[in-house]
Amino acid sequence: MFTSLPQYLRDQNLQGDVRTLLLLKKSMERGLVNTLGDLYLVLKGLVTNSQKDIGPFTVAFYQYFCDVTIKRGESLEAAILRSETFQEWRKLQDYEEGEEPEIAEQIDDFINQIHLTTYDIKSVLKGEDILNNDDPNLKDLGDSDERLQNRLQQAADFSDIPLEELLERMKKVLEQQKKRHQGGNHWVGQGGTSPYGNNGAAQGGVRVGGSGGGKMARKVIGDKNFYPVDTKTTLTDDSIDVALTILKGIQEETVETELDIPNTIKEGVKQGGLFLPIERDKIDQKVQVVLLIDNGGYSMLPYVKTVKKLFSKMKRRFAHDLKTYYFHNTIYDGVYQDAFRSKLVPTEKLCKLNKNYAVFIIGDADMAPYELSEYSLYNWQEINKHFPRAIWLNPMQERFWYGSMTVNVLKQVFEMFPMSPEGIEKGVAHMNRKQKFGKAD
Amino acid sequence: MALTDFWTGSKHYLCDTDLAQAFHIARTLGMPLLIEGEPGTGKTELPIQYAKDQGLPLFTFPAGSKSNVEQFVAKFDHVKYLRDSQVEVLNAQRIEQGLDPLESGGRKTENLDDYVNLGPGAQAFSHPNSVLLIDEIDKAPREFPNDLLFALSHRQFVLPESGKTISVTEKDMPAIVITSNREQELPTAFKGRCVYHYISFPDAELMEKIVKKHFPKIEGELLKKSIRLFYQLRGMGLDRAPATREMLHWLKYLEHFAVDEAIAKIDKKEGMGILIKSHSDMRKIQSFYPN
Repeated sequence: MFTSLPQYLRDQNLQGDVRTLLLLKKSMERGLVNTLGDLYLVLKGLVTNSQKDIGPFTVAFYQYFCDVTIKRGESLEAAILRSETFQEWRKLQDYEEGEEPEIAEQIDDFINQIHLTTYDIKSVLKGEDILNNDDPNLKDLGDSDERLQNRLQQAADFSDIPLEELLERMKKVLEQQKKRHQGGNHWVGQGGTSPYGNNGAAQGGVRVGGSGGGKMARKVIGDKNFYPVDTKTTLTDDSIDVALTILKGIQEETVETELDIPNTIKEGVKQGGLFLPIERDKIDQKVQVVLLIDNGGYSMLPYVKTVKKLFSKMKRRFAHDLKTYYFHNTIYDGVYQDAFRSKLVPTEKLCKLNKNYAVFIIGDADMAPYELSEYSLYNWQEINKHFPRAIWLNPMQERFWYGSMTVNVLKQVFEMFPMSPEGIEKGVAHMNRKQKFGKAD
Repeated sequence: MALTDFWTGSKHYLCDTDLAQAFHIARTLGMPLLIEGEPGTGKTELPIQYAKDQGLPLFTFPAGSKSNVEQFVAKFDHVKYLRDSQVEVLNAQRIEQGLDPLESGGRKTENLDDYVNLGPGAQAFSHPNSVLLIDEIDKAPREFPNDLLFALSHRQFVLPESGKTISVTEKDMPAIVITSNREQELPTAFKGRCVYHYISFPDAELMEKIVKKHFPKIEGELLKKSIRLFYQLRGMGLDRAPATREMLHWLKYLEHFAVDEAIAKIDKKEGMGILIKSHSDMRKIQSFYPN
């Protein structure tokens, strides 16, 4: 079951493996999955690991389960509108001529239907009874079956009935249904307590459109923040891992030792109460890194992703504390917290950070000479003064450096290295040297 | 798998539907629930209120920069062990001299279990259907979540020194809730063993409900005004936007005044110190609402 699902997840850079499938199977056995919406919820809990995963996960989910392919940068609505699934679904809606709701509303219905979960059940009426008394092979006799309008006040719970059965019944009923229905508890239509319909009070059934239930769909999936499809990076740069091992060099190693109390006591007890202190090396692996990335302009575009990937890998592997800031070409009042450069972090604030941070500035340092004003230069100098371990990594090829005036100026402020494994190696070596001699505190 | 009833909150705690669902999924699967979200959105409250409401024993482990798995599982009391072993030597001498031997509280040095102090993790695992909260795991050193991996996936702790194991069946698995503020990325392997949920910040509508849970008698106009100002402040792009916690504290303060007095306080932006936690934010607000 779902054997190709992990591949779909992996395509979105999500975690997906046999364990995911086993857990999914377990959830099904435990009765957590009754509807497509349940499936979404359970898988979301199992697969996503951070807020930013929710977007890619939604993409994978829609592609795998709904056959809705969301292209990069495309909105969910547009993708649905384009999809064949939606067109098929619309046919099933059997809207009457001229009474068709707005297309946006239809899409809402569609999304709500997909995200209907068992949890949407609030007040419960045993749904099984209705199903048992209802004959799916009943011939469509027009509007004769609309007698249970008052049932709308109550709700029917079909959550105990397996999904397959509901789907099967729905199919049977659909085959027979020729006309749109309102009310009643048998036909696929609007209102009523039939488990297949919309706006009805039936919960846990197969909802065909309608606004009930899946409010979460609108709230979460429509939210831009939860839907950053553009997180997919195709990094084939083999040198990243090399660079990573070099970066490990900034890890601080101390020669301090500490008293090993448990072993001292253990040995002491063995010696019959003679305690000789036993020492062990103190391992302090505190790696603190500040990353300043120039992410403005086309010249930097190809590098930003690589750099971020490199340092996020680093963070995952061994850095405890990585702070990333952004700037465009050069800095004036400070750097920015977010990639869109809207939240300013003043230079003073940046310089309040611990001196022991290793600072990597990544930028081509190439700009119009007037941009690198005295004030800007002052800010750079402040940063350099505060952090003894600051270096500049320049992705531009070294032989072009001399052609750029601003590169030459900034080279006076920071030690500049090319952003290649070799350059990074030199930079890290330089950083460590500076640390030893300039033991400023 | 702990208790698997769907739990949607208690009289004092409004559990967001999404969160309740994730919590239910986690308990049903016998997996820990990992909650992330802005500070002050009730991450820690969930297990506390759940345990209180359901009358279950709650074990809490607040993680810090010095946390290690020993504190969480069990600690071997070396000092007591040392004392008792010294006392044994001493007692041999005392008996020789005809003195009464010293007591060591029934502990025996041969029995290493006597010197093991159980931490919250081991305690929760030995109480069926308890609730275990590991708070702010992102503050703990990186080794901590990694060291937990075995315990989480095999539902079993090995006690230090004595080598005894504490294990729990899937049926009796405590409901484990882990909270994180994302100050550091947790290891992928660790996250893979948890059900993940991100608490999104409540919208005004939900906030109204939350407030009403805490202040059932709150006056309508006051509620409306305070919520409006609260979301205005949140929309201002402050360094540290006020969260639910601040909102509730603020209303607690306003509760001490008569309704019209409290409304006047909102209009005059008094008592902002409860909502705003940084000087630069305060300045921003003062310039935004000049009086």
